Amino acid sequence: MSGNEINRRDFLKFMGIGGASAAALSGCDMPTTVTLEEGKEKVAAYLVPEEYVIPGVGVWFASTCQQCGAGCGVHGRVREGRLLKVEGNPDSAINWGGLCQMGQAGLQGHYNPDRLSKPLVRKNGSLVEVSWNEAWALVEEKTSAVKGDRAAWLTGSVSGHQAALLSKLQDSVGSKNHFVYEVINNRVAEAVNEAMLGEAVPRYRFDKAKAILSFGADFLGTWVSPVHFTYEYAGFRSGDRGVLITVEPKMTLTGANSDLWVAIRPGTEGVLALGIANVLLTKHQVDGSRLPAAARDAIAQYTPDKVTEITGVAGDTVVKIATYLKQRSPSLVLSGASAHDHANGYQSAAAIMMLNVLLGNVGQTIESSGGFPVKELTAKRGSSKALADFAALADQGALDVAFIYGANPVFTAPAHMKFADKLAKVHFKVALTLFADETTAMADVVLPLASPYESWGTMVAAYQPQEMTLGMQQPLMQPLYAETRSFGDVLLALLKKRNAADYQRYDDYYAYLRNAMTQLPAGLRQGKSDAEFWDTTVQKGLLKVSTTAPALKANVPDLTQKTAAAASDFPFHLVPSARLGLWDGRHANLPWLQEAPDQVSKVYWDSWAELHPKTAAQLGVKEGDFIRIESDQGAIEAQVYVFKGVHPEVVAVPMGQGHENYGRYASKRGVNPLKIVSAVTDEKTGEIATHATRVKITKTGKSSQLPRLGGSDRQAGRRLVGTVTADVFRKTEGGSNVA
Amino acid sequence: MDVQAEVPNAVPPVGEHKGDKVPQPIEFPHDIHADKNGINCMYCHTYARRSKVAGIPPTSKCMGCHTVIATDKPRIKQLTEYWEKHEPPQWNKVHDVPDFVHFTHEKHLRRFIFDNEGMDVSRASEVCAFCHGDIKKMTVANKVKPLNMGFCVRCHEKNGGPSDCWKCHK
Repeated sequence: MSGNEINRRDFLKFMGIGGASAAALSGCDMPTTVTLEEGKEKVAAYLVPEEYVIPGVGVWFASTCQQCGAGCGVHGRVREGRLLKVEGNPDSAINWGGLCQMGQAGLQGHYNPDRLSKPLVRKNGSLVEVSWNEAWALVEEKTSAVKGDRAAWLTGSVSGHQAALLSKLQDSVGSKNHFVYEVINNRVAEAVNEAMLGEAVPRYRFDKAKAILSFGADFLGTWVSPVHFTYEYAGFRSGDRGVLITVEPKMTLTGANSDLWVAIRPGTEGVLALGIANVLLTKHQVDGSRLPAAARDAIAQYTPDKVTEITGVAGDTVVKIATYLKQRSPSLVLSGASAHDHANGYQSAAAIMMLNVLLGNVGQTIESSGGFPVKELTAKRGSSKALADFAALADQGALDVAFIYGANPVFTAPAHMKFADKLAKVHFKVALTLFADETTAMADVVLPLASPYESWGTMVAAYQPQEMTLGMQQPLMQPLYAETRSFGDVLLALLKKRNAADYQRYDDYYAYLRNAMTQLPAGLRQGKSDAEFWDTTVQKGLLKVSTTAPALKANVPDLTQKTAAAASDFPFHLVPSARLGLWDGRHANLPWLQEAPDQVSKVYWDSWAELHPKTAAQLGVKEGDFIRIESDQGAIEAQVYVFKGVHPEVVAVPMGQGHENYGRYASKRGVNPLKIVSAVTDEKTGEIATHATRVKITKTGKSSQLPRLGGSDRQAGRRLVGTVTADVFRKTEGGSNVA
Repeated sequence: MDVQAEVPNAVPPVGEHKGDKVPQPIEFPHDIHADKNGINCMYCHTYARRSKVAGIPPTSKCMGCHTVIATDKPRIKQLTEYWEKHEPPQWNKVHDVPDFVHFTHEKHLRRFIFDNEGMDVSRASEVCAFCHGDIKKMTVANKVKPLNMGFCVRCHEKNGGPSDCWKCHK
């Protein structure tokens, strides 16, 4: 080993203590365990190399992200057969090359050490690993004789050919029981859109709007299709800079970007909307003839003073918002979870949508999407009522078999639903999943799924911006585990048993999908041959579909507002806020996302409770103190984060943490605010009113440092972030108005 | 056993290392191929000029010749067995750098061979020998150069290679 000896003197020289420059590099000759390792690692060559494969050089393949329902197109870099990185597909009109942190972290789901690699079957009360064949035989034995509505599927949002295949499976069994459950959904607004516009999911044109008024629609963070909206928002803010106003009880990422942020008492958003309409009609002489007389009567009741009394929003703020909307047309008014997850959610959402009708936005910034032309492929949008419906059936003993996929209801269901007890009444429960979680712990059979990056599929997002897109999901690598199957393959295998004649000729889901794609209407295939159409769609990762959009209607229903009475025992409102990253908790097992600080509070790895400084002072708590938040359903404990961006009557706790059984990164970390949600539903749609819970707060006396990136929220006059007025910006920094 | 390479516009790196003999599933004789038969290193390690890794030749490449050449030799019979079982041999890695070191064969070959005026590609083995030693004379390769940071940095200093930390550490 001549040339490699290192002694103490050389080491000190290397560390800069010796100082003789001639020896400056001698420390770099230090033998390390790695450089001396010879013959410790194996290296296998290809037997026959693929022509396009060069070891060490990545190849990018297109697919579709499955981390939420937005359906962003992705490109994945594959090297030596391994997927190393995903980025947005620039051709996708949904994300134009962008990808959010949840999409980026998709790799961590794929390579997660907690992934299930073998099926589990319950034997003597506990789940044990068995072969796929054994588990499958058990599923066959227990489910083949079950007919009709005694078999149910409980899934998250599904779309594309997997949804179509699931419908066909349900038809073959004779069951209508497919419950599509999402705790973070936009169902109330969809119902209002359906009634008022004639279309549940129209297009919102942020790029055409000159002012946006958002009632808790966190479109930059967690609402519907955030990556797309962020792009449109960038257009909205550049050039002739649009004005963003956000009204919500707790500041979201969108709220933090607003020109005017307004804290509102939860559940009173509809009243504020009517108050704004009142100012528009009385002060700004906006033409109210678009509204029916009953609606104008309802609006007339809500003068700014009355609005202030109910909502807590100052009268001059109401006038200010109305003035912005009047001056800047067309505008866009949106509603999100904090506005409509209440008992009066539908009325609030209707009053908010009414503003679009009054301001003439319908047809300008709210357009018809026309709907995806192949109906069986459209997204089955999730609701939380679906969970209650499923639970009710299970409770009656009406279900013999339940298949659960893409949802973790035992974790996300509120405690009052007693979901676990009701699920236990289903005789045979099959969970299809990548990971063991709270729900799979109750299953009789757990079938391990291949990851989205190992599976074939198609995806049609519920929200389709600008142009219709069918996302193509292709495997980016061979499965990591031999005994996993894609969701499509499981559905196909189940169908083959029930309808052999139609499906026997497909060896696997790939064969089915390829055939099904070539059966799409000729107009979608743009005159291509089967092979050419398939190849180009897979290569591009998406299929663009043009549709003709009809005009939207603009009906205005009864706008009578009901607001909940104050509850003296429980003086505070609980806001279980959605968090970009952990989402409803499904991504809590991805360490990048646990480690990524929340965009607003900058807390990581834990839960926290946001309190207004005034409230914190009243309660005598400071940042890091643990408080007990108690509703009529139970209590949780979390550390206080004192923050001005929250209504003084509100305590906001993010969703996503509090797992008991979801792998090494998620378990025993933080609390789940959904557990203490009161038994309230939206009166019109039956959606669980997650924001309608009243709580009381008590000090626990415990305190420790809140895990939080960054110290102060204030610049303390140091101008760390400089600001200029829009006029100065246009003159000096550019923008489209500059010649 | 430093090679007295006279590659134009290049100063070979200095340093020696007495590596262990690493056993391999088939004792591949580099001397017969590269020296006796004069096969260019890059004929088998085809990826070296295009990628960061030189690449272990695919089994199909071996079989390209050995379905007809020397088929009666025991090592070729062993190779043919692998081929027929559809299993590439699992070689033991002799030359390696730590995972935090980013080394690209392609850039080094470009500097010393392809973009090097007066250098003939048929003499590639002399450049390979900078870091791998005179493999032409070996049967089973063993490591004769230290491949540690001092070895690399001294060569970079002499040959005008980049000295930014992030060129190699990323």
